[in-house]
Amino acid sequence: MSNIDLLGRRKFIAGLGIAAGAAMVAPAMAVSEKADGVKWDKEVEIVIIGSGFAGLAAAIEATRKGAKDIHMFEKMSYFGGNSAINGGLFAAPGTPMQKTEGVKDSVDRMVNDQLASGRGVADEGLLRHVASHAVEALQMTLDAGSEFHPYLQQLGGHSVARTYQTTVSCGAGITQPLFKECKRIGVNTHNRSKFEGFLVGAKGEVVGVKMRTNYHFGEDQPGKVLNIRAKRGVIMATGGFAQNVDLRMAQDPTLTADVGCTNAPGATGEGMYEMFRLGAIPTHLAYIQSGPWASPDEGGFGYVSNYSIFNLPHSMAVSRTTGKRFMNEIADRKTRADAELENRDEKGNPVPPLLITSFKDSKAHPNTEKVIKYNVGWKFDSVEELATHFGVPLAGLKAQIAEYNGYVKTGEDKQFGKNMTKAAGKYIEAPFTVVRLWPKVHYCQGGVKVNTKAEVADSFTGKSIPGLYAAGEVCGGIHGVSRLGSCSIPECMVMGMTAARSLMKV
Amino acid sequence: MKNFNIILGLVLLGLTSLSVQSAEIRDYHKDVIGNDCKTCHDNGIKQFPSDESCLQCHDVDDLAKQTARSEEDKWQNPHNNLHYGKEVPCQECHGEHTPKEPLCSNCHTFKFDKHKG
Repeated sequence: MSNIDLLGRRKFIAGLGIAAGAAMVAPAMAVSEKADGVKWDKEVEIVIIGSGFAGLAAAIEATRKGAKDIHMFEKMSYFGGNSAINGGLFAAPGTPMQKTEGVKDSVDRMVNDQLASGRGVADEGLLRHVASHAVEALQMTLDAGSEFHPYLQQLGGHSVARTYQTTVSCGAGITQPLFKECKRIGVNTHNRSKFEGFLVGAKGEVVGVKMRTNYHFGEDQPGKVLNIRAKRGVIMATGGFAQNVDLRMAQDPTLTADVGCTNAPGATGEGMYEMFRLGAIPTHLAYIQSGPWASPDEGGFGYVSNYSIFNLPHSMAVSRTTGKRFMNEIADRKTRADAELENRDEKGNPVPPLLITSFKDSKAHPNTEKVIKYNVGWKFDSVEELATHFGVPLAGLKAQIAEYNGYVKTGEDKQFGKNMTKAAGKYIEAPFTVVRLWPKVHYCQGGVKVNTKAEVADSFTGKSIPGLYAAGEVCGGIHGVSRLGSCSIPECMVMGMTAARSLMKV
Repeated sequence: MKNFNIILGLVLLGLTSLSVQSAEIRDYHKDVIGNDCKTCHDNGIKQFPSDESCLQCHDVDDLAKQTARSEEDKWQNPHNNLHYGKEVPCQECHGEHTPKEPLCSNCHTFKFDKHKG
């Protein structure tokens, strides 16, 4: 039984507490122990905890570097973590597609974009390390069989188009090929395996882990805890904590259970907290990012998120109460999420703003049909029809469309300074496609502090904790206040590969 | 000791009624379930069945064929889906004693009319 409050589950369980508590065997909380005198159930070469981008890339890279006995553990019943349901957007500087499209880009340029979004507290060294190896990571996905749309996208906060996206517009277009590759090369994969703590040697080094087997997420059953010795080390690739309402509210009290979340249910943060208990440095935990392109009309990441990410550069976002724009549609995520959250009625209730796109331009994205089909978006033949449906003041909306279309023509947005390059020639004209926007908790910038070798720093000694490596969203400080879209996949994969390289040098 | 026997009695009663319920959800399970919980509970009665348990009788490729959707919606096939392929363990979406929601409903509004929990 997890002691984590999953979207308010606790209140429900509290009512059953006494009866349920008596009937089940309550497993101990995750706590690390001295390995001294421990009876090892299993001895392996490398332990990887988590099976998203970071864990998968680490497993493949470690194999390439000669590891023979890698064991990847996943808490959930299915593999891929949050990576399997994300948008599949991959930013890298100096890619083949940039050469084809004539986009001038560099490591410096990508890092500078990220530093601006990070608002002064991002880790330049780590950003530079990731950007410098991003093309290698992209190549790993291609080698495994990932397929990408034949065009680049320019996401909010990026100064150039540098983002690839899988043809299925989902991270599964990467996790599925990488997972199959892991199976092919003989990585041992274990689902329903919950990390329960580290086993620590005499000098504070990580020598193994306690792993609960036969674990059923959200259910109560004892399972069995195994002590697993990791001869080379342990790579923590356990992701963020966006689904853990207690943890995220401890950092930002506005992120209550009422705020949606795009993450997979397993993003609960136990691995990160266990590293803190061991001595890892908590970094930037309060920087939790909400996706400004999500929809209140569906759960999780859904269909609208990718639809919006693609369409925002040539769309107009308007307030329902005025029909006026209220933000630069491709500003960085925090700027947009904050602006969206201000769309409220007099009582303070949310009035999600509208994203209006010409149907002819929106339909270039494969999700457009699905968005309409599954009633999470709508098509309107006239501006009157649109305004009536949502109760938007018609005159205000018409005036805004005319004004915005002027910016499309001149290439200069005098309202919000939006980069109109991708909007060139794309006037807002009937028929329209419309979705509603409302931010969802999406990414935790905070986590444990790591260096460019993916080693985890100790709070008191300032040195790296021997035997312990971390990669992906569980690490903190890299992006600072706000992460740019499509910069997580390269980070997860590069740092996963880095962890594998460091560990294979030992 | 007396209390223990009462509790044991209640537990056994509970187990019997649970197995009845599971056969009711899917009547074609009646023959195999009977009164022998071990048919499915291969990890022991107090544990959930293993992920392989259902596969004693069911073949994931056949299931994928049965739930196939049109080319446009092909990745909405719960038994061969975009995010996890054919690798979602049965118990993620199906419960014999407790009806469950399809995993997809975490994020999508798809309808699965024949889904029995």
